[in-house]
Amino acid sequence: MATKTTPAEAQPTTSGKPAYSRELLLGLYKMLVKCRMCDEKARILFRQSKFAGNFYSNVGQEAGEVGAAYTLREDDWVAPSHRDWTSNIIKGVPLKFCFAQLYAKATSPDKGRSSPAHMGYAPLHIITPASSIAGQLNVGTGVALGIKKLGQDSVVVCFFGDGATSIGGFHEALNFAAVHRLPVVYLCQNNLWAESVPLRLQTALTNLSDRAKAYGFPGVSVDGNDILAVYEAATAAIERARAGEGPTLIEAKTYRWYGHSEIDPAKYRSKEEVEAWKKQCPVLRFEKFLTDKKILNDDLKKKVASDITAEIDEAVEFAEASPYPKPEDAADFVWS
Amino acid sequence: MARVLNFIDAITEALDQELGRDERVFILGEDIGLSGGVFKATHGLLDKYGEDRVLDTPLAEGIIIAAAIGSSMMGLRPVPEIQFTDFITPAMDQIVQQAAKIHYRTAGAFSCPITVRICCGGGVSGGLYHSQENAAWFVHEPGLKVVMPSTPYDAKGMLVAAIRDSSPVLFFEHKKLYRTIKGEVPEGDYTVPIGPAAVRREGKDLTIISYGFMVHVALEAAETMAQRGIEAEVIDLRTLSPIDKETILKSVRKTNKVLIVHEDKKTMGIGAEIAAIITEEAFDDLDGPVVRVTAPDIPAIPFSPPLEKYWLVNPEKVVTAIERLAAY
Repeated sequence: MATKTTPAEAQPTTSGKPAYSRELLLGLYKMLVKCRMCDEKARILFRQSKFAGNFYSNVGQEAGEVGAAYTLREDDWVAPSHRDWTSNIIKGVPLKFCFAQLYAKATSPDKGRSSPAHMGYAPLHIITPASSIAGQLNVGTGVALGIKKLGQDSVVVCFFGDGATSIGGFHEALNFAAVHRLPVVYLCQNNLWAESVPLRLQTALTNLSDRAKAYGFPGVSVDGNDILAVYEAATAAIERARAGEGPTLIEAKTYRWYGHSEIDPAKYRSKEEVEAWKKQCPVLRFEKFLTDKKILNDDLKKKVASDITAEIDEAVEFAEASPYPKPEDAADFVWS
Repeated sequence: MARVLNFIDAITEALDQELGRDERVFILGEDIGLSGGVFKATHGLLDKYGEDRVLDTPLAEGIIIAAAIGSSMMGLRPVPEIQFTDFITPAMDQIVQQAAKIHYRTAGAFSCPITVRICCGGGVSGGLYHSQENAAWFVHEPGLKVVMPSTPYDAKGMLVAAIRDSSPVLFFEHKKLYRTIKGEVPEGDYTVPIGPAAVRREGKDLTIISYGFMVHVALEAAETMAQRGIEAEVIDLRTLSPIDKETILKSVRKTNKVLIVHEDKKTMGIGAEIAAIITEEAFDDLDGPVVRVTAPDIPAIPFSPPLEKYWLVNPEKVVTAIERLAAY
């Protein structure tokens, strides 16, 4: 039987902070829409058998991705999970590379090695993930140790889901980061479902950020569909990390609109639950906020969408025109 | 006369000199700082280099390796220690899914130049969980270099080479070698390359292939047989991955008989792979079966002395196998 979870009351973005410039708000909005549109496009391409393997949609969770990654500098690091391919887009990886990666073409940054779920880009410090749960938290924590040892002032943001908080590696990483006050932000996208396992069978906690108390650093739970709430919490955590004050755990409470992957119809969830969360769409909520503030209107919305469509079309064209790797290239890069 | 050191002192000297030579090098692990290591391999290094370079860690192998992996991706040269290889299992995910594959899965965009020092081996009444020798697990993972020296000279030279290598290296140290094996060790900087095996004893009648502490067992057996007129060639693999096929095959073509000796369990062990290499590439040169002397297929080394003795390979067991093989 599906578990019913009621989302928080639908609200326009609650942040009362006046400090956001029009430029920043529009920048966040454009990125939010870009992530949504790229992800929906990728789903269509997968269903058209344009690329193999599988696809792990991020739709519904974009506010958490954009809110946390948008504020990062070029030299900051991201350790994404399988569901965070859009963090590449936010960090500035050219879209053509992202789509070439989905298509596993020779022009992708890793020359077709990793599956669509495992996107990374070394020049922008995005660590290509592996599949094992919470692995990226541990490697990301190691990068944070390196940053500290080298005396740099960059930070690491590790993305993961609620499921990753149950494995031992989560504890090892957060504890180690706390001991050494490492410049790392742990961003948990709590979408209530770890594949098909509901949160109630994952943890007895209501707020996953409570776990931070056990390590001796701050934890905060925010409305993960409220981009400004995530942005505020992430910006504070990143500043804290950059200042040498150590890690923060942020729980962004959100929802995964589609199945665990495109081959998962997610029949374990009730339609009512999904529909209730879709009403909390992070894009629509932010659009309403910006429209109320007279920052956004229909013309601008259309322009944003058409610009992104053009960019996506170009990226897809690049991916489709790109060659596959040569079979024997499989044997390259075994040793460094 | 060159200076003679214990095996473990050669390890300490390699760490000391690399820490002194290259600021990117740091060591980390359980009990390596304040205590100087359970076998004292890192003795004195905390005082000399400070906590920034010699880091006592939480008792959590996964993050010890992950901290090394992540910081190595930043250009540092971490040397994590796994106190006993019996405790390496919590770090398997990091070693196998991350370290072995980062360079490959990013098409060379990231590399992982870590050197994991791992204490292994039986024969010291360590019981089930302080005696294992499981290097073969990692030989199955291309992307990881796996080495196990048998002499103090190689211990220093190969550890230095490992730290300077840009691939992840698992550096196995057989604990029985630490204070029983002495040898000449130059004071200065030198490396012993990862890859080539060493011929420890020349012989024409058969080839014994071994590594780690078992090299010394093989050499003792070879001396016994020499008194009976059978001359065994003894190859010390030193590097288990990538394996030096050339040296193996050259010796097989000379002696036509092969005995493999290792301390690890038999099934799917390194001996199985070597036997396969030889039958694939030098079948016509063989005058007899490829024979293995190994631990039995029993889950772990039992503690009680007679039980441990049953497990361990000793020179007598090797002599028996040589006698059998020499008859072909």
